[in-house]
Amino acid sequence: MKHACHYASRLASDSLDRPLTLWERIRLKLHLSICNNCKNCDNNLKLMRQINELMRINDYGHIRLSEQQLKHLHQALDSDTKA
Amino acid sequence: MNNPDNPHAWLKEHGDYLYRYAMSRLHNEELAQDMLQETLLAGWKGYDKFAGQSSIRTWLVGILKHKIIDYIRREIRGRNLKDAVESDPTSAFFNANGSWSEAPNAWKENPEDLCKNEQFHKTLELCISRLPEKQQLVFRMRDIVGEDTPTVCKCCDITSTHLHVLLHRARLTLRKCLNMHWFEKGTDS
Ligand SMILES: [Zn+2]
Repeated sequence: MKHACHYASRLASDSLDRPLTLWERIRLKLHLSICNNCKNCDNNLKLMRQINELMRINDYGHIRLSEQQLKHLHQALDSDTKA
Repeated sequence: MNNPDNPHAWLKEHGDYLYRYAMSRLHNEELAQDMLQETLLAGWKGYDKFAGQSSIRTWLVGILKHKIIDYIRREIRGRNLKDAVESDPTSAFFNANGSWSEAPNAWKENPEDLCKNEQFHKTLELCISRLPEKQQLVFRMRDIVGEDTPTVCKCCDITSTHLHVLLHRARLTLRKCLNMHWFEKGTDS
């Protein structure tokens, strides 16, 4: 199929943002089953997405505002809300 | 102040939550603190618009979200990158017949380790910052901030089809950049 890999990479990217149609899913699946390059690309994109998702939840789950930050914020709010 | 509807009370009640939300999207303490401050203040000033149909936390997160998006927008504009009419950069990755001009290889490292690796963080940020303005904006909003596609389309005033085109470009370019500067670094012959 002409432009197969280019198109497959587009479907792989789109699949991260929208549900693919049945026909698109079949085409992508078929192509990935015969094309190692696109399989790698698909996995790379998924890994990038996964890392960004992990960074959002993992990294900062434990952090809190420090006493100093809280003090600063309360002060800033005081002066702003009274202005 | 005994009234629970004031920014000091919100700070006590929701401060950590909002701060984490901002940190996980901005990765910068000072900036996250500023955004939090602006959010509480905006919440206080616009409190009459809060009709109580959602919880106060949800409402404040909504404000914070917009502040973050505005910040990203300003920040990217400030860099003065020109969004020249680009030819489709994804075609550069493929031969005329649509096959890969440079075969992507498998990445072996696992995401848990990578997301904790500061050096990788820097490399990722460097690669993202090299993207053209529009691609960078939509990529940051969609994949870094984690907004859903309708929100990104609305904020950037583009159709969903255009969004998919831009994200495809951004992701392939990033994939290549990360491959070159991280995954395959030093393994070139
Ligand atoms: Zn292929």
